[in-house]
This record gives sequence, C-alpha cells and structure tokens, in this order.
Amino acid sequence: MFHTEEESIVTMINHIAQNNVSAGSESEVADVVENHIIKFWSRRMKNILVEQLESNGEQLEPASKIAAERIAAKAHASA
Amino acid sequence: MLQHFDPNKDYGTPASVSEKMVTLEIDGVEVTVPEGTSVMRAAALHDINIPKLCASDNLEAFGSCRICAVQIEGRRGTPASCTTPVDAGMKVTTQNDKLAKLRRNIMELYISDHPLDCLTCPANGDCELQDMAGAVGLREVRYGFDGDNHLDSKKDQSNPYFTFDPSKCIVCSRCVRACEEVQGTFALTIDGRGFDSKVAAGQDEQFLDSECVSCGACVQACPTSTLMEKSVIDMGVPEHSVTTTCAYCGVGCSFKAEMKGDQLVRMVPAKEGDANHGHSCVKGRFAFGYATHKDRIKAPMIRDSIDQPWKEVSWEEAIGFAAKRLKDIQAQYGRESIGGITSSRCTNEETYLVQKLVRAAFGNNNTDTCARVCHSPTGYGLKQTLGESAGTQTFDSVMHSDCILVIGANPTDAHPVFGSMMRRRLREGASLIVMDPREIDLLNTPHLGDASHLPLRPGTNVAMVNALAHVVVTEGYEDKEFIAARCEGDAYAKWREFIIEERHAPENVEEITGVKAEKVRAAARKFATAKNSSIYYGLGVTEHSQGSTTVMGIANLALATGNIGREGVGVNPLRGQNNVQGSCDMGSFPHELPGYQHVANDEARTKFEKVWGVQLDNEPGLRIPNMFDAALSGDFRALYVQGEDIAQSDPNTQHVEAALSALDCLIVQDIFLNETAKFAHVLLPGSTFLEKNGTFTNAERRINRVRKVMAPIAGKEDWEVTVDLANALGYPMNYSHPSEIMDEIAQLTPSFVSVSYDRLDEHGSLQWPCNEDFPMGSPIMHTVDFPIGDAGKAVFAVTEFVPTTERANRRFPLLLTTGRILSQYNVGAQTRRTDNQAWHDEDILDIHPHDAEERGIKTGDWLGITSRAGQTVLRARVAERMQPGVVYTTFHHPGSGANVITTNNSDWATNCPEYKVTAVQVEKVSQPSEWQKNFQDNHERQYEFLRGSASSADAVK
Repeated sequence: MFHTEEESIVTMINHIAQNNVSAGSESEVADVVENHIIKFWSRRMKNILVEQLESNGEQLEPASKIAAERIAAKAHASA
Repeated sequence: MLQHFDPNKDYGTPASVSEKMVTLEIDGVEVTVPEGTSVMRAAALHDINIPKLCASDNLEAFGSCRICAVQIEGRRGTPASCTTPVDAGMKVTTQNDKLAKLRRNIMELYISDHPLDCLTCPANGDCELQDMAGAVGLREVRYGFDGDNHLDSKKDQSNPYFTFDPSKCIVCSRCVRACEEVQGTFALTIDGRGFDSKVAAGQDEQFLDSECVSCGACVQACPTSTLMEKSVIDMGVPEHSVTTTCAYCGVGCSFKAEMKGDQLVRMVPAKEGDANHGHSCVKGRFAFGYATHKDRIKAPMIRDSIDQPWKEVSWEEAIGFAAKRLKDIQAQYGRESIGGITSSRCTNEETYLVQKLVRAAFGNNNTDTCARVCHSPTGYGLKQTLGESAGTQTFDSVMHSDCILVIGANPTDAHPVFGSMMRRRLREGASLIVMDPREIDLLNTPHLGDASHLPLRPGTNVAMVNALAHVVVTEGYEDKEFIAARCEGDAYAKWREFIIEERHAPENVEEITGVKAEKVRAAARKFATAKNSSIYYGLGVTEHSQGSTTVMGIANLALATGNIGREGVGVNPLRGQNNVQGSCDMGSFPHELPGYQHVANDEARTKFEKVWGVQLDNEPGLRIPNMFDAALSGDFRALYVQGEDIAQSDPNTQHVEAALSALDCLIVQDIFLNETAKFAHVLLPGSTFLEKNGTFTNAERRINRVRKVMAPIAGKEDWEVTVDLANALGYPMNYSHPSEIMDEIAQLTPSFVSVSYDRLDEHGSLQWPCNEDFPMGSPIMHTVDFPIGDAGKAVFAVTEFVPTTERANRRFPLLLTTGRILSQYNVGAQTRRTDNQAWHDEDILDIHPHDAEERGIKTGDWLGITSRAGQTVLRARVAERMQPGVVYTTFHHPGSGANVITTNNSDWATNCPEYKVTAVQVEKVSQPSEWQKNFQDNHERQYEFLRGSASSADAVK
C-alpha cells in the first residue's frame, strides 16, 4: 500500500524495472522501463517522475533512476 | 425440391457433420443428406414434416414417443424416424393409413392423461402437443378421463421465473435431456417407474431448492406448458420478435426478444446465434426486469453540489449545464483537467463516441474504460507476444480441444453458456486442468473424465506458468517445427535460456505455489502431449500485480507447444462484461486510438485528425487510477462517466470516494442512481440494450447487432446524449443512426474495414479482423502469421516472477480473493433489480473449515474483515472449496463494501488492480463497519435527494 501520488509513481517505475530485470544490464533494463513509460504514461505522470528524481531520487532503483534521468533529459531538451 | 435451411425450424435431430453424402427416397422424393442424418431430419430438410413430440434438434434422438414412426421398404415394423439413420437407396413412407392410425392411437393415450384446458392454457397457440394432436387428426379419446391420471398433481412455483405443472407433463424427457445435454447440470431426472414416472428436480425437491441453475433450457425444450415462463402466464403469447444480443457477460448470446407491442414478454436464445447456438443462462434469459424497474432514471437532473437535492430539468438544460461547467473548468485549470470513462456495457458505437468526445472535443487523451480494472493485462500481454490484443479462437473451437487448461476463471458462473459447451466437450472425453486457488464447479462436472486441480496460492500464477513451461522445455515436449517456422528466433532463444533455469523447476516452485511438483509435471505433460490443447483464462490471471506477465507466460506456453493457429487450441481470455473486447477495440485506452493505434503514431493520428477535423494530442492521457490521484491533488476537476460504476467496482473505495468528492463536475450517464451517481452533479438517463441500436463485440471478437425493441425511457439512446454534449461543447457531431458511426469506425480502424450494418444483417455476425484480407472475418486468428514485426513471427517474452508486496503476516494472516457468481452480474445494478435476488441477496465471505474453527466461526456469523486499506463486515459461510489461508467474497452488493478492503496495488504494466490478493484478518463482530454505517446514511440521503427531484417536478407539472 502506498498513500501519496508521488509514492505511487516511484513504486510503479520500480515495479516495471523489477518485472523486466531479465532484460539484461541496468542500462538494458532502463531501456525497457523508459520505452514503457514513454508509451503508456501520461504527461502528468512523467512530470511527477521528473520531480521525484530531483527530490526523492534515492527511492528509485538503479535501472529506474537511469530511465527517469533519460526521460528528464528529454523533457528538458523539449522544454 | 430444394429447400433452404431455416435456422428457426426444428429439424428434430442434430445435424450430422459427415462429409459423405447419402441419397434416399422419402415419400417418392429423392433427397441427399450427410451420412448419419436421421430419417426425421432428412425429411424435415426437404419440408416433409413427420410428427414428433420427444425429438428436438438440439437434443440427441431419444425415440420414446413413437409419434414419428415411419415405414421403410424392406424393413419390418414402424421404426422411429428420429433414431433411424438414413441409408443409401432407402425408401421411406411417412404418411399412410397405417401410420396415421398408429399416431392417432398414441396421441389418444397421451391426451387421456392431459387436462383439456387448451383455451385457458398459457401455451395456447404455442404448444407442440396441441399442434401434433391437430397434425395426427385426433378427434376423440375413447378411454375417457375417469381412470387413474396425474391431473391433480401439484404445481411447483418455487422458481421466480417459471412454473412446473406436472399435470401437463407427457414425460417425453426433453427437459431432462436438455438439462443434461445442453446445460450439463443434470439437475432433472425421471423419478419412479411406469405410470408413476415423473420429472423431478434434484432429489425430488422444489426447483428452487435443487441444483437447477435456472438456465431455462428445460422450459424451452418443453413441448407443453408443463414448464412455462411466468411472464407468458401473466402476459400471454408474444406476437413478434426482434433478434438482438444479450447485455450481460462476454459470451454475447443472441436472443429473440419476444414482444407484445413494446412490452418484452420473454427472451428466447436464438438457435442461429453463433456464440450460443440456442442456449442461455439465468441472467440472459430471465433477468431483464431491471429495464422497466421503478428505479430507472427517467429525466435528466442537475445540482450544484452533492449535498443538494437533484433538480429535474430538460435535456437541453442538463446538457447546457454540463457543457458550461466543462468549459469553465478547462478555462480555469487547463485542457487536461477533465476526462471521460467509456463503458464496457455500452455499444461499440457509444464507446467510440465517448473516446472521440474526449480526444476531439476535450482536446486531451484522458479517456479510459473499466477494462482497465479487468482485462487491460490481456491487451498488453497478447499484443507483446502474439501481436493482437484479443483471444485467438471461436467458442466452438473448444469442441476440438483434447486438453483444456483453465486458469483463474470460473466459466460455469461467469460465462455460463460457454461453460456448458466446455462441459459438453469434457463429457466427450477431453481432459481438464484447473489452475485456481478454489475448487471451481467445472471440477465437479458430471461424467468428467481425466481432470486435475492445481490449487495454487493466490499471487503465484507466474511461478506456476513458468514451471509448466519449464517442464515442457526440459522434458523435450517443445513443438520445434512450429517454433522454428512461426516464432522470432532471438526472443525464443533468450526465453529458452531463462525458462530452463533450475529455479523454475516444479520442485523449486513448490514452496511458492503450494502445489506438489509431481502434479505440476503431470499437468505439463498432459497439456504438451494432447493433440489439441487450449488455454482459457479470466480475471484470476489479470487482476494481479503480475497480471501482464502471466498473460505473456500463457502465450509462451501455447507457442512452445505449438497450440496456436488452428481449431481446438489457442489463448482465450474470457472477457467479463458484454463489451469489454469492444470497448478496448474502440480506442478507450488513453494511449491508443481505435484499433489499438498508438496516439504517438503520426501516420495513424493524422488519419484521425483528417476525419475528425481537429489536432490530437500525441501523449497518452490519464488512466482511471491516475484520474483519481490527480483529482485528489486538485489538477483533475471534471469527469464524464458513461455506464460504469467506478465507486463500487474500483478498489480501495475510500480513496475512490475521496477522489469523486473532490471533483467540481461529475457527469454520470446511467440507467440508475448508481454508487458513482451519488457523487455526481449531472445525471443523464441511460438507455438499456433493449432501447437502442448498436453492436457488441464478445470475447471471441464477434461483432453482434444490438437492436432496439422499445423506445428509450427518457427519449434518447446513449449515443445521442454524447452527440448532444459534443455539439454543446462546440465540437460538431452529426450522426442520424449508429450505422453511420460504424461506417466511420470502419473507415479508421484497419481490423473493421469490411464491417457494416448491412453486412452484419446479412451474415448475422462477423469476427474481426474483417477487412480486405479477411472479408468474411477471422474465426481463428494467427493461422499463417502474427501481426507483429516485419516477419510476422510471435515473440516469446521473458516472464520473471516478482511476488506481490501484498503479503500475509501475523496481523493480516489470510489472503482474500474476490470474484463473481452465476446469478448476479458485476456491480449488480441490473441483477439486483430482478428476481435473481432469490439466489444471492447478499455477498458472503467463504472461509475454510480450519480457519473458521481456529476463530470460532460458524456459517451465518457476522465477520469483520480488515485489510491494510479498510474494514467491512460480511456474513460467513464455511466452505470446503476454499484452501486453508484463503477467503473469498463477491462484490455484487454495494453495501458489502468488498472493495473497501481491496488495496491500490496493481499490475506493473497496466495498473489493473490486484483484486485477487488482499491480506486480511477476519474476526467475529456484532455490528456493521464504520464505512458501512456511513454508506447507509449517504444512500438514504441521496435517494431522498432523488425523490425530492421527482416530487418537485410533479408539483411543477
């Protein structure tokens, strides 16, 4: 059980990473996570993820963190 | 003489499937029919109609009434035409003086023990006995009526929908055989011998007390008024009928709605229905009374806040009020501050329009559907592996299966008509493997042969499916030829390397699943070695935190054993509601346009933009749980919900209620004041499936027509309301009939290109993909290739087992799993307003005797059930079918609060809630929970608000 939307976002990205751990290295798992989030997550969810990366990054598992950083970089680039 | 096959005619005995043809002569007419056809059917096919009483073409020939006797040249006596197969060169006489006398004598005996009350009998005008008496020319009954008879036999009126009047029974056994052969329940029998023979339910019990499931097959089979619908007794025989599609489960049965004017007298399953072949369940056949229930919302209503009474207004005022609020909210909080939820109970056309409204008129992709909370993992998992978000087979395909694997589904309760077909195949000898924490009724199928139950712990599906695949691969049962020809090589190699790891061996998984390794190995061997093995699964697969992984694991298993792409095999998700498949196909999900075309796909999006005349967002929108979160944070302010009851069906009720309460504008379009509507500001009256035109798509991708049989109670079909709302928002929608909406769907959806109302009327139904490549539709998919990648090859997916975080501990030692039962449907809004309440008027908590004893619990005790999310109170039933440590309940009654205790855990890929695993504690209590007390208070207050609106409207009038 999680209680806030931010907790939910962090739980979800970590959950995606855990379920795709067989993709290979951390970077390869991060590829899967990143693609999944780009394909299925709303703009709002992605924004919260980027905020969490900055304020609560230690809660992200390594592959999740890499994926979140890539998404953040793309968001900054397109801003 | 060439006669065309008429599906409405009763040909007396079932069709033969033989391809070898036989020519014979009947009454001097040369006829050619398939070998194995009965003389009766061969004659009937050429419009030579031999009298009959105990024969019906949905039952095996029985030969008991002898009315159908004929003479055959060179053969002795007068054989029954129903039990006599045709022979080449046979010469049959169906009418002569001898046969006429014989038939009259037989009929005379029947009538001597039958009440002569034809003029006041409810079957008058619709009675086969009456027809046959006329056909054989019966003019007198020489025996009189003074001898021993059954005319004073007592009527059984216990069933809410039909009566059993034994005084009118001719003991033809059609009802008994229908119960056995069609339904597969074996609830009826012929009790006693000789003159004492009589039809009896169960152990000579009342129908309602017996194991009868009230499917009505016996009522339909009865040639007299012995078994008769109470609605016909009350209203008389119908005068016209309209063929339409049932609005209950995902089987999508075709029915003839039999009418008197605009009053529905009865629903009779259509013989020509491709999904149901003339069979039905208690819901589809009998539970239609909700359509005219006094609780129906008959006029639009508005209010400024949910603490106020409703104000009944005109359609124009309600739509104007809703549109203004939506526009004001977007002006203040932005384009993405509003959204909509489409319905899996509404038609394809209505669903299409709601998502179009959201994308084109709201200007965002905040559209979702209740498939989110049931089969969204099916969409994801099958798309990843097989390339299409749908099941691969027809229902009929199961009749070619030699081994049937059922995972997390309970077909005899949730998909009863298909459950009956499955039972028929099991009686014919197919083997059964059930993977489920509970012992489902399928395992108690009468005359079941080889069956095994893998009673795994809730939440361990992935581990079990991986273990089955491990055995297939490591014991050499792979279909290497199929894999080489039809599957993508690199993905297969990677998966193979993963699945052969020792950690997936049944012996190593035993501790996780709780199922003995040898049992798992035996099941895997059985599945892999049968000629045709099929997999059927339900919400016990999808509603888990690893639902999508299990779906992919199921696809892996089918691919590894070569069980895809032909009759008798395949991956078959059993969809819950009538149009779950359709609502997904129609672009309800926030990331996909109709036909599963991603919003970021420029080519697809441009196509829609051109036809819809607007620019579309290329980012996915909010899913239902995201909408709730955003509402609580104040970013999401308005929601349009058509035909869904998210306040009752979605998990963690208190979270949902808080989110709905936070909205500035909730527009609910429904046939009743449902739980969600209690939080609404605009209530728009919905129309039932009887009141509108459209299409539903069932679990086998079959598009079936829904036809209007009566006017909408509030004047508008649901699609018209969405059109009005779009126009009021300034986005023009102009349709004069749902057929025009389907034409637009066909224009934009590659798998629907060749679908139109004209073609549906012509062919009865069509299964998508239906386009240039498959103009007649696609009963079985993936026969040649898969719609995935450039090479069209299926993709094995690596399926890591990640246990749920929702675990039992000392504080919450039991695992709760939730589900459905036969007599109620989903949130129960429809079935609770019918006499189906006779079977299930409250949700009950099933608990294993061991767990019950440990807590001093007896059947009937009130139990407090507490989880990490909340508490509710239900009555207990001590049940052997449960495994120790697991408890079960349904969610059909809102006051039960079953979803107060389910958590916000969800599937990693799709956010489908984990309804099937909630750690709980159970203890005896003496009063309802706090939530239940509040629920009752709010329920009474909201109904008072509704009654206030009606009385104020009356006063104005």
